[in-house]
Amino acid sequence: MRRVFVIVALLAGLAGVAAFQLTQRHVTNADARVFVPSSRFYLDFSPSFRTTIADAYWLSTVQYYGEHLKSDARFDSLGAMLDLVTELSPRFVRAYQFGAYALLDAGEGQKAYGLLQRGWRRNPDAWQLAAAAGMLVYMYGEGETKVQIAADWYRQAAAVAGSPDYVSRLAATLLQKGGERDKAITMWAQVYAEGDEYARQKAVAALDELLPARCDERIAALAALDVPMTPDRRAELSAALLRD
Amino acid sequence: MNRMAAVALNTFKETIRDRVLLVIVVFALAMIVAALWLASISLGETARMMQDFGLVAVTAFGVIVAVFVAGTLVRKEVEKRTVFVVFSKPVRRGEFITGKFLGLSLTMAVVLAGMGAFLFLLTWLVAGVSSWVLLAATGLVYLQVLVVIAVTIFFSTFSSALLASVLGICVFAAGQLSHNVLSLSRLGDSALLKGLSWVIYLLIPNFSAVDIKPGVVGEATAAWDDIALWSGYLAAYAMVALVIATLVFNRREF
Repeated sequence: MRRVFVIVALLAGLAGVAAFQLTQRHVTNADARVFVPSSRFYLDFSPSFRTTIADAYWLSTVQYYGEHLKSDARFDSLGAMLDLVTELSPRFVRAYQFGAYALLDAGEGQKAYGLLQRGWRRNPDAWQLAAAAGMLVYMYGEGETKVQIAADWYRQAAAVAGSPDYVSRLAATLLQKGGERDKAITMWAQVYAEGDEYARQKAVAALDELLPARCDERIAALAALDVPMTPDRRAELSAALLRD
Repeated sequence: MNRMAAVALNTFKETIRDRVLLVIVVFALAMIVAALWLASISLGETARMMQDFGLVAVTAFGVIVAVFVAGTLVRKEVEKRTVFVVFSKPVRRGEFITGKFLGLSLTMAVVLAGMGAFLFLLTWLVAGVSSWVLLAATGLVYLQVLVVIAVTIFFSTFSSALLASVLGICVFAAGQLSHNVLSLSRLGDSALLKGLSWVIYLLIPNFSAVDIKPGVVGEATAAWDDIALWSGYLAAYAMVALVIATLVFNRREF
């Protein structure tokens, strides 16, 4: 009997606590302006735990972005939060990537570009950052040189070992659009050398457009191509481009 | 040597019997729940979050278990008067203290190896990646725990078990911040402040020098030569703490 009484009292107590919690106004990041401490403080205070603190702020940043995206679309502290995360953990590639897109949503295009530039400087092996910067410039940039700048970003991304085929394909397309014919030819040849069948078809079509139309000039241009390629593939490319 | 080994073995059996291994089970369950939760909210950074927060959990669990067990090791023997039985045999006080330290070190090796291996496997199973640096980092956490055990045993030779445990935690926290003490000395011109800062800096173990947590998530490359040197320093620090503990314990009247 006594045990039953204790259990009932315990359950009643728990229910009371839960009811109190549920009826209170929930504490969230409802305010778009939140306090973001200086990264200097954490770097001085606890260098051993700096990445853990960065991770905690990363989770908080994702939550902040999600909450405000659904509600008021105000992201006043987003830039500061991303700065804090990336200062504490400069090699946190996803923070730059996600951060750039999130800052675009916040209407902070310049900050997004700056974040990607900083990320690329610190992580020259992360092709994703250069590719994202290229995309950002191409989609949202202004001025006549934007295609060339975007192409240059893609070219840098394509130069990173392990970057996928489509990056060099994009770089080549943009260089072609930007009028850098020789670079575009080299990039497309690279796509042909390393790409799958689809990529090779695209490369042949692009090279066909870029290379001189006269047969002797085209043969000379193909011979001058300074792109490592197996002899079979080189012969295949020559055959595809010299079929007429 | 045999007498010390006997004390160590007894301490190991005693602490293992104290359900210390339950810590591994609690850690495992906490990590599984955390892993599933982190996977859903970290935007694809599950491995990073698991490794980073997992190592913090390993450190916290390890230090808390170590200080609370180390705090009671010597005190319990004194308060229960079992220490008389031990000293009625040809066991020196230094052997007793060192044996206690070695026994608990063995227990903590089992606890930390269990948590480290579980974290390694869980990260590999859930996120598909795991790094040997994670295991190395767990090893270096163990080294820090050894120092904390030695210091807590030292405190327990002249204070209550609870106070010794609290002081042990304080030393661990201070060890994470020791580099800041030197920064303080540069703040003013006072020679006294500078001298005091240097003394405190030398007294506090420098734990951040052997911490490679940022390296686990690819943030910094560990300088293994430096880490080997600092590991030697921490081992020496633990030995000095044990020698001082023995000297204090030698002066106790039973």
